[in-house]
Amino acid sequence: MTALRADAAVAWAIARKDALAELRGRQAVGSTLFFAGLVLLLFGFALGPDSRRLTEAAPGLLWLAIVFGGLLTVARLHQLEADDGALEELARYPVARRAIYLGKALAGLGAMLVLGGLLLPVVAILYGIDLAGAWLPLIATLVLGAIGFAAVGTFYAGVTVRMRAREVMLPLLMLPVIAPLLLAAVKATTAALGGDPFGELGSWLQLLAGFDVVMLVAGAATYGYLLEE
Amino acid sequence: MPQTTIYAAPRSAGPQTTPPAVATVELARLFGRNAALAGVSLRVETGRTVALLGPNGAGKTTLLRILATAIRPSFGSAAVDGIDVAAAPELIRPRVAYLSHATGLYDDLTADENLRFAATMLGRPDAIDAARHALHEVGLAPVARDRVRGFSAGMRRRLALGRLLLSSARLVLLDEPHAALDAEGMALVDRLLGRWREAATTVLVASHQAERVMKLADGWARMDGGLLVEAGGQGVSAIPPAALQAPATAAAAVER
Repeated sequence: MTALRADAAVAWAIARKDALAELRGRQAVGSTLFFAGLVLLLFGFALGPDSRRLTEAAPGLLWLAIVFGGLLTVARLHQLEADDGALEELARYPVARRAIYLGKALAGLGAMLVLGGLLLPVVAILYGIDLAGAWLPLIATLVLGAIGFAAVGTFYAGVTVRMRAREVMLPLLMLPVIAPLLLAAVKATTAALGGDPFGELGSWLQLLAGFDVVMLVAGAATYGYLLEE
Repeated sequence: MPQTTIYAAPRSAGPQTTPPAVATVELARLFGRNAALAGVSLRVETGRTVALLGPNGAGKTTLLRILATAIRPSFGSAAVDGIDVAAAPELIRPRVAYLSHATGLYDDLTADENLRFAATMLGRPDAIDAARHALHEVGLAPVARDRVRGFSAGMRRRLALGRLLLSSARLVLLDEPHAALDAEGMALVDRLLGRWREAATTVLVASHQAERVMKLADGWARMDGGLLVEAGGQGVSAIPPAALQAPATAAAAVER
């Protein structure tokens, strides 16, 4: 119990520190949001003015924008640690490695929820989608999807943070792993927006929850090795 | 500089009631094909302040980083208080405080927030008071609420020194602690070295300021080319470079 409490305190301290740094680096936060919004706008242009086509594609485009914005976010959260030897300092604190992982993942989750929460209304406006009545399942999908993305993203940002070509390597390594998450999140969003006529929403949410648990456990168990130089 | 007096291998040092603060045996570290350490055997007794001297590239930083668990040895062994640093790094970390070349600070946090974060990570329940006290100690209390991004190199160094004060470590490792500091800052380092010495904390300090550090040190060890070439004074002993002895597994591996 004491160890759990200590882990929670460490994870919270790391997440709080990352959130403070992220909020103060407004330029980076703003540009990520702008980039994700721009992706949605460009997808809209690419698909043309057919409103039915846009509505059908909206769940997929929303999650692609979240993934692209999220890649920038998790990379930046680790970049904070790469500056002036902070990662080495972090690794040398006498704390459990899993607590460091969970703290970084918690910070990533917070950023992803903000990103997703802001992009949802943008999608609704751009693609003419009515979100009324779908809020609860949409929020559940967003939360479960963000947890999985943060779990995987934190791990792979840790893998690539010391690499010279980290900007290229992070998506290269991470995108294949999150393919099941992307599929389940898009299907769940589609079901939520369509009123779930086939009753499949629950299954997709269960798949997302299972993915989250597996990735969080695997990340917490292995992240410590990434901190070793 | 005092004459070299003691050459004793850590393995043959005889019966000990307590393990030395630091003991390395043929310690080697390779970076690619380069050997930053090529077989260093060193023993530092508890409570001593030892100056690590030598030119750039001598291996001082690598030795300190291995003892701080920042990197693992390639060959040989290193122990702090009798605990192997590679086998049980989680037991070493609470015992060691390390001031490295890099300050490891977060630019977008204030000086106070940086130290409060460090205090929390070090398990201090009094993180707020401890951070405030440390800032006062290193003369940064007036800029406690300023973001580190605007700090000079000397101020960052002072803040990193303040972070060391949050730790209750029994072994303090300092890598060029006087670097980037003005006269007042250097005096601060000297004062801290004196305080650690009075508190019987073991200190290993790598420095190019040989004369300055020697005034505060009990003993010294001189390194060159990844080897420990001589040691002297009190509380420190060494064996000749492993490369000169047979069989020397680390040195042989380095040569391969």
